Amino acid sequence: MEDNTAISFANVAAKYDNGREVLSDVSFNISGGAFYFLSGASGAGKTTLLRLIYQLHKPCQGLIKLFGKSTDGISRDEITDLRHKMAIVFQEYSLLSHLSVFDNVALPLRVRGMPEEKIKKLVSKTLEWVGLGKYADANPRALSGGQQQRVSVARAIVVQPAILLADEPTGNLDDENAARLMDLFIQMNKMFGTTIILATHSKKLMDTYKFPVIRVENNRVSFAGTAPRPNTSTAQPDAKDTKKVWKGPKPQNYFAELSKQFDDIGNA
Amino acid sequence: MIKKQTVFSLVHEQSVFMTAIMSMLTFLAVMALGVALAIGTGVMRWNAQWDLFATVQVMNSNNADATKKIIDNASDKIESVHEISKSQMTDLMRPWISGGGALQNYLPQMYEIKFKSKSDMATVAEQIRPHARVLTHADAMRGATTAGWKMILIAALVLGMTLGVIGICISYIARNTAKLHRRELEILNQVGARDSFVAHQMQIITGKVCALSGLIGFVAAAIALLLILGAARGARIGLMAMMGLNGASWIILMLLPVAIVIFAIWIAKRTTLNILKNS
Repeated sequence: MEDNTAISFANVAAKYDNGREVLSDVSFNISGGAFYFLSGASGAGKTTLLRLIYQLHKPCQGLIKLFGKSTDGISRDEITDLRHKMAIVFQEYSLLSHLSVFDNVALPLRVRGMPEEKIKKLVSKTLEWVGLGKYADANPRALSGGQQQRVSVARAIVVQPAILLADEPTGNLDDENAARLMDLFIQMNKMFGTTIILATHSKKLMDTYKFPVIRVENNRVSFAGTAPRPNTSTAQPDAKDTKKVWKGPKPQNYFAELSKQFDDIGNA
Repeated sequence: MIKKQTVFSLVHEQSVFMTAIMSMLTFLAVMALGVALAIGTGVMRWNAQWDLFATVQVMNSNNADATKKIIDNASDKIESVHEISKSQMTDLMRPWISGGGALQNYLPQMYEIKFKSKSDMATVAEQIRPHARVLTHADAMRGATTAGWKMILIAALVLGMTLGVIGICISYIARNTAKLHRRELEILNQVGARDSFVAHQMQIITGKVCALSGLIGFVAAAIALLLILGAARGARIGLMAMMGLNGASWIILMLLPVAIVIFAIWIAKRTTLNILKNS
């Protein structure tokens, strides 16, 4: 039988650089196509958990498996191969200030060696969708916090990742844009079976979109809500709420277009 | 076709510093090689000038006839013979024979001979040696040519040192760039850039800066070399006047900045990969 586990933690412990233990004995399996909220107090270890999954932080103990592959002792190139199937949205945006908004979003495609004409189409569409089409040539520093956050999200989704990790992606957004972004994530999860882990403090967000929650507390993680589901039966948000705020092009169209563009890359 | 774009950049100050230092180093490298080639050309021309000349000194007047006979018999091996007359010899030796004039009786009979080939010179010299001293001009000028070769060696050492400094500079700049642009490197790494991609970006930047620096350094060095060679020829003194750069030398000089750019790109790649590997 095929193993559908996308992320697997077995007795994982992690420490900060100063030696303070932030996570201990963390074990869980997340199936491909699942959508989870990640919650916990500030400093509880939410970001560290995301960094562990994205291979930006090494565990001091335990074993992490991604797509069934152990990450213990793998080479830098193997880590990059794994990252090519993932994307991360950082709380602090992580945008390059010497590049335009367009070039920032195009960055992950360029490092993968995608042809420029394809990059142009994909990035323009993604920017249009996140409502930043007219800011393509702008410098990220000239944008507001919310706009920069959307650039960061656009950069993550443009590669159509199999796993999307988002650290407070709606933290700087107004309700309308937050709902719009959630709609995008849900569509990604539904159409491509993208496994999504979204760190948030927002109780409102978790109440509105009833996805299962991973709670980080006292160095441990616990699960709350419904169990993870495979990609065909991912939990759905309240459709009425989403429709109320939806202003942009339909995400289905965006993903259909994105899917066509990615045919010969086979990234997802 | 995949068009590779530069997604990495140097801060302005660093870019200016790198251009300035690489221009200076390219200038020094081209100057060192140019001077080495110019002196080398001079030494070769100098040597070629004297290769077939020899001076015969008949110290004992009893051997004068025998020596003259050998020279006359070897006319097929000799291009020209110039016998230095008594009066010319007196003029040449005036500082030593003025006053008493006793030395005038001991003045040697001298011939300046140009041979047709080196082997002719060796054969005839062998025949003359029992009767007179044979001094080849090349032997007499050995000190000057040795000095020339030493100058070439020193210029080559300067070139080697300059290339070494270029390697250290590029390595330092790559390390400094990695430190200054740590956040950029992290972001590149996060969005899925392989080490080879980042190293390639550094190679592109280094290549662009070094190409511009190479052009500036070469033009400045070419002007300086032309001025030096002009001044050396103007002096009209022996080896200095013979210094020069032919077409092949200029091509070699033009290829040096190209070699420096390739070397710098290689160093940049190597250093960047090492930094990333140890990060």
